[in-house]
Amino acid sequence: MHSSDEYAERDIDISMLTRVEGEGSLRLRMRDGVVESARLSIFEAPRYFEKLVEGRKPDEVIDIVARICGICPVAYQMSAVHAFEDCFGVEVEDGVRALRRLMYCGEWIESHALHVYLLHAPDFLGYASAVEMAEDHADIVGRGLQLKRLGNDILALLGGRAIHPVSVRVGGFSRVPRRGELDALRHMLDHAVEWSAETLDWVSTLDAPAFERDVELVSLVHPHEYPMNHGRIVSTRGIDVATGAWRDAFEESQVPDTNALHARTRSGTTYLVGPAARVTQCADRLHPRAGAALRQSGLGGAIAANPYWSIAARAVELLHASSEAVDILDAYTRPDVASVAWEPRAGVAAWSTEAPRGLLFHRYEVDASGFVRAAQIVPPTSQNQGRIEDDLVAFTPTMRDASDAELTHGLEQLVRSYDPCISCATHFLDVEIEEVP
Amino acid sequence: MTRGAPTVGVVKFASCDGCQLSLLDLEDHLLEITGTFDIVEFAEATSRRSPGPYDVLLVEGSVSTEEQAAEILELRAQARTLVTIGACATAGGIQALRNWADHDEYRRAVYAHPEYVASLATSTPVSSHVRVDAELHGCPIDRGELLELLSALAVGRRPQIREDAVCLACKRRGVVCVTVARGIPCLGPVTNAGCGAICPAMDRGCYGCFGPRPEANMPSLTGSFLASGGTRADVARLFEGFTAYAEPFRTTVSDLRGRGPEEDADAQQ
Amino acid sequence: MSEAGQGHRYFLARHRLADLIDVLRGAGGRARTVIGPTVEQGAIVYAEIDTAADLPVGWRDEQAPGHYRLRREGDERAFAYAVGPTAWKRHLFPPARVRMEVAAEPGADGTRFEPTQPAASATVLLGARGCELAAMRVQDRVFRGGPYVDDHYADARDAAFVVAVQCTHPASTCFCTSMRSGPGVEAGYDLRLTEIADGFVVEAGTDAGGEVLVSLRLDPADEERAGEAHAAVAACAETVTHRNRGVDPIRARDLDMYPEHPRWDEVAARCLACTNCTMVCPTCFCSRDVQQSVLARPDGTVERQWDSCFTAEFAAVAGGSFRSRIRDRYRQWLTHKFSTWWPQFGTPGCVGCGRCIVWCPVEIDVREEIAAIGTSAPESDAQDGGERRGDVDLGPQALTTSPGGVPEPPPRTGTVERVTTETSDTVTLRVRTPPGLEAQPGQFVLAAVPRVGAPPISVSRLEPGTLELTVRSVGPATAALCRLGPGDPLGLAGAYGRGWPIEAARGNDVIVVAGGIGLAPLRPVIDAVLADRDSYGDVSVYVGARTPDDMIYSAEIGTWEQRRDVTAARIVDRAGPDWLGPVGVVTQLFADTAREAASTVAFVCGPERMMQASVDALVDSGMRAESIWLTTERHMECGVGLCGHCQLGPYFVCRDGPVFTAAELGPYLGVEGI
Ligand SMILES: Cc1cc2nc3c(=O)[nH]c(=O)nc-3n(C[C@H](O)[C@H](O)[C@H](O)COP(=O)(O)OP(=O)(O)OC[C@H]3O[C@@H](n4cnc5c(N)ncnc54)[C@H](O)[C@@H]3O)c2cc1C
Ligand code: SF4
Ligand code: SF4
Ligand code: SF4
Ligand code: FES
Repeated sequence: MHSSDEYAERDIDISMLTRVEGEGSLRLRMRDGVVESARLSIFEAPRYFEKLVEGRKPDEVIDIVARICGICPVAYQMSAVHAFEDCFGVEVEDGVRALRRLMYCGEWIESHALHVYLLHAPDFLGYASAVEMAEDHADIVGRGLQLKRLGNDILALLGGRAIHPVSVRVGGFSRVPRRGELDALRHMLDHAVEWSAETLDWVSTLDAPAFERDVELVSLVHPHEYPMNHGRIVSTRGIDVATGAWRDAFEESQVPDTNALHARTRSGTTYLVGPAARVTQCADRLHPRAGAALRQSGLGGAIAANPYWSIAARAVELLHASSEAVDILDAYTRPDVASVAWEPRAGVAAWSTEAPRGLLFHRYEVDASGFVRAAQIVPPTSQNQGRIEDDLVAFTPTMRDASDAELTHGLEQLVRSYDPCISCATHFLDVEIEEVP
Repeated sequence: MTRGAPTVGVVKFASCDGCQLSLLDLEDHLLEITGTFDIVEFAEATSRRSPGPYDVLLVEGSVSTEEQAAEILELRAQARTLVTIGACATAGGIQALRNWADHDEYRRAVYAHPEYVASLATSTPVSSHVRVDAELHGCPIDRGELLELLSALAVGRRPQIREDAVCLACKRRGVVCVTVARGIPCLGPVTNAGCGAICPAMDRGCYGCFGPRPEANMPSLTGSFLASGGTRADVARLFEGFTAYAEPFRTTVSDLRGRGPEEDADAQQ
Repeated sequence: MSEAGQGHRYFLARHRLADLIDVLRGAGGRARTVIGPTVEQGAIVYAEIDTAADLPVGWRDEQAPGHYRLRREGDERAFAYAVGPTAWKRHLFPPARVRMEVAAEPGADGTRFEPTQPAASATVLLGARGCELAAMRVQDRVFRGGPYVDDHYADARDAAFVVAVQCTHPASTCFCTSMRSGPGVEAGYDLRLTEIADGFVVEAGTDAGGEVLVSLRLDPADEERAGEAHAAVAACAETVTHRNRGVDPIRARDLDMYPEHPRWDEVAARCLACTNCTMVCPTCFCSRDVQQSVLARPDGTVERQWDSCFTAEFAAVAGGSFRSRIRDRYRQWLTHKFSTWWPQFGTPGCVGCGRCIVWCPVEIDVREEIAAIGTSAPESDAQDGGERRGDVDLGPQALTTSPGGVPEPPPRTGTVERVTTETSDTVTLRVRTPPGLEAQPGQFVLAAVPRVGAPPISVSRLEPGTLELTVRSVGPATAALCRLGPGDPLGLAGAYGRGWPIEAARGNDVIVVAGGIGLAPLRPVIDAVLADRDSYGDVSVYVGARTPDDMIYSAEIGTWEQRRDVTAARIVDRAGPDWLGPVGVVTQLFADTAREAASTVAFVCGPERMMQASVDALVDSGMRAESIWLTTERHMECGVGLCGHCQLGPYFVCRDGPVFTAAELGPYLGVEGI
């Protein structure tokens, strides 16, 4: 990090963002207190996934796209599997549908606990990492780790392992657990509910910078359930399209002065996806326990308006996911078959699901034998990227008098509040590896 | 951490972050790990930074840009023990499939301004660039193996990690062979154990994410896949996974496809 | 004995199978776990059975090399299948079990090694077949035959109530009649069932079995049913025999006589070295000991896990593997099963269950391999002159075991008294001998460092109350030993193995030939001979090393060189600046001297190639191979004949060696990959 001597001209250059997933940097240029440019750039190397899946069959694609992100592999598997099933007209069993939600609950718990406790909380309390935070707050960090572990345990039970689980197949799962295999987990999940409730109580006590802005929030919305795998893509400003019709409402467009593609609404505006968008749009479909806790916390408005309070949105979703996981386990009977038979069909397989970080869109052109001919994947972080930069521009003047160190910290904390997953964002359409001169 | 504890760095190249996440996924042991080792560099988890030197450096990800090719040389110089973790670092990862493809075509297909994209034509394992002291296989690595590596380092034993076939773990676990009982092609016989036979235990075939074991008998296994009715392309796709660029999978894929990958040499040009 | 006594046949109607299982589960007021066949993962496996509904009622199996499928026949039969992928060893000798708990707290008393105590719960093994009971008897000999026994196995075996089922539906891969293990069941059961159209003919083989029959209040089986049962088993036997007419286990006993048969290369080209065959085999017993501990915690465990002779590290020692090629490993497995098992345990290692054939992913069929190698081998290829072994009675059915021996002992804690640096990588530890540890020259101990390992180390000096170990640091465990200082605790298990025949050498000329650290196990020989110098004839000591700096006990060799009553000489491969002695191989020092065959005994230890050259030179100079004693290195895990790692032809190096005569090792010295 460095800064220029002149007050009038300030460059804030955070060459390596820490406590985010993947590698990115932040470069901000100000003149006379006005931000000229804010650029969140990603130097995560491109991996060309859209090309890698060409010529592959659906189940192989499910295995491959998981590797876009080690933090939320299930999200990639879910968007892909639903896209293919939709395209091929596959109806999965109800039990399978429930297990897929359970799997997502596991990933949300894992990912949110990771972010709340290990990546984000240290900012609020002034530590460099959760490890240092644990020296003063061992019980809090310990709770976060145990919660995270339970999320992983759900994933391992259903998918064989927590990272890059192996069981998701077109038509269902390669294997579904026997009832008895769930008992130990079920017992532990009562704790997860308890710890999640404590998480929300605890984050409510944190101090977030006052910074409010009015943004368009986008998420899936489903009439009966909190959105995960089904619903419609809906925004706070009137967008309402089918899960597969992302391209009707959004586009990836070129941003001036960079060669990166950012997602924008068709009207060219930035928007926000993720926990804050879901909680705001679907508060009434939260699990009753989570809904009540949200109301009691009084943080609903702050979650919609202040990016720092996304930590509370994650806490609410932790409570939702652990409560729903309990319900799913209690109602579980093993599906008769793990997977139903299916035949490929030529067509476009497109679907969006709710990754922990927000809407994740997949689109595959499939030939009659089931081979993928072209692919497009739009992960949440590249949808949020434009919004993050807008927020940085809006936020910086509020810290006009701060030292470079303070400003840097404030900006980093702001970026982290989006839980940007740069590994995902390197989804290879909006990567910019250009050397910044 | 204890004073004088060995210093550990965690760095990454082209990857999904899953392997370094495996360290954070050792939830029950995380605080004990940070008590045993001094984690001085781990950008995903801490804002503390250190350019080295490191007693132990865990490297995730494949080398796929010129910057990375230069950086790994510097990191090697800073690391007493360099351990590559995961399929990307040990085998080039799924992204190494581009090594068989026309890289320029990839760039043109994906970028409006391909001239700005500074990725190398190949994605290569760290061992193609520098000496590596130990490897943890897997996509992702097994967190039990990671804990064993750290524990072995802590007390000075040989890590109890062997080059067995997945089959050995599969049978110990009491899993029925999916190839014999269901006719599902499985790469277990030629793949390093380490995962504990996750895929067969989930009623599917192993797709080789822990990479080829040193003495994988490829002609015999591919011969048997072909004999049971797979086309050459079908069989090739079985190996075109997360460790395709590791020998002998690499040669098998090239033979079945009738074309070879860009050579490692490109990585250094 | 009640009226439901042994030898009487009773009839269990089909619908009463559930009652049988209930009684088995709770018989005699003891709750037992019933392990039996059930359909899972597309196969009939052995798992916990709660009710008769868990049994594979109405299922049939279809088995062929590399092929297994289930099909629903839809009838009422519960046992109309042949053995599946699980073997009972899973329950008697589990795939992984903590064998010992260890600790390494600071301080001299901090080192602890505590074997875990067996605590098998009462179990019913339901549905064991003839070949499977034969396999249990084979493993009984391995694990309970002594001198050291696996007490966990013994305990589990004693806690098992065996309900045998005679086979009526063989698979194409069964060859029990060739190995005389089935399809009928002759011995080793508590209850024996034969399935017939409307139920089962049941007999008790023990009092415990009789009690079960009493509580079931069964009627005797009528003649017709008894006849139906008998005929079903006989028909099964006929089918199996018919299909396997070419399979001749007696000829297969000769397999180890053809180590260079071209067929080994052919089968190795197919074999994946995947270990499936050894894992599913009901007699394979090899294991490895895995050190387990978490981070810097002082406590840890040693876990015994199934291992396989097909793994790369199975026969590895510092410097490489004795069986580096798949060919070597396939040959080891097949020759062990069919030939070298005989001298080890008095039976073949195969019971003809066919599992290794079915579960080999590339369809390798041991029956074809033994036929190809056993019958097409040119006589001249045979290692020991083509002399075939005579007919023997296989009859694993008839074999009974005579359990005996002691559980393998844990290491006892000794204390390091003094450390002497020998070379840049070698030290000698003088250790206060823990009470109860007795050692002979030529024996070795397992020198255990908690959480790190327990490598075999030869005793390099024996004195009252102390012993010495000379250790070369080649890897982590030996490095840990080399780091020990005075006062440090150290675990010692043993001493194990057959030592040098020093007493028998009395009255003879003695030649000692050592290469490198090979001098360490020989030093107790020199000590003993010099302590009783007058009892021996001429005494010569020849020592070779790579360089002068690699020569251990240099000063001591000097004192031997000084003595008039000893001929001592040393030689190095490469001289250093201060070296005035000869340069070359150790055999140069003694090759020219003629020996008196009848009255000379030689003791040799060093790298395998050096030992071979020494043997050749000594034989050329007139010695008999029977009087040349060698000590061999092999990978070792247990040290007591239970883990299988150290096998060399018919020998367990840990138990039958490490000291052998050149005559005993003759067929194996210099054969690549044995
Ligand atoms: C009967 C006998 C007597 C021996 N006497 C001595 C002696 O007096 N002094 C001495 O320095 N060495 C002796 N050795 C050799 C010594 O046991 C090995 O060097 C040691 O086990 C290596 O262990 P490590 O962990 O230090 O090395 P590692 O690096 O872990 O092992 C090095 C290699 O040795 C192999 N190995 C591991 N365990 C064993 C084992 N138990 N037996 C053999 N190889 C193994 C490994 O697979 C590896 O390939 C003896 C070996 C035997 C069999
Ligand atoms: S079975 Fe194979 S593909 Fe599956 S997790 Fe293990 S090594 Fe990876
Ligand atoms: S060698 Fe093969 S046939 Fe013989 S007992 Fe073992 S598994 Fe069965
Ligand atoms: S014989 Fe067959 S089962 Fe055995 S190791 Fe070879 S390939 Fe595997
Ligand atoms: S049998 Fe275990 S070392 Fe010999």
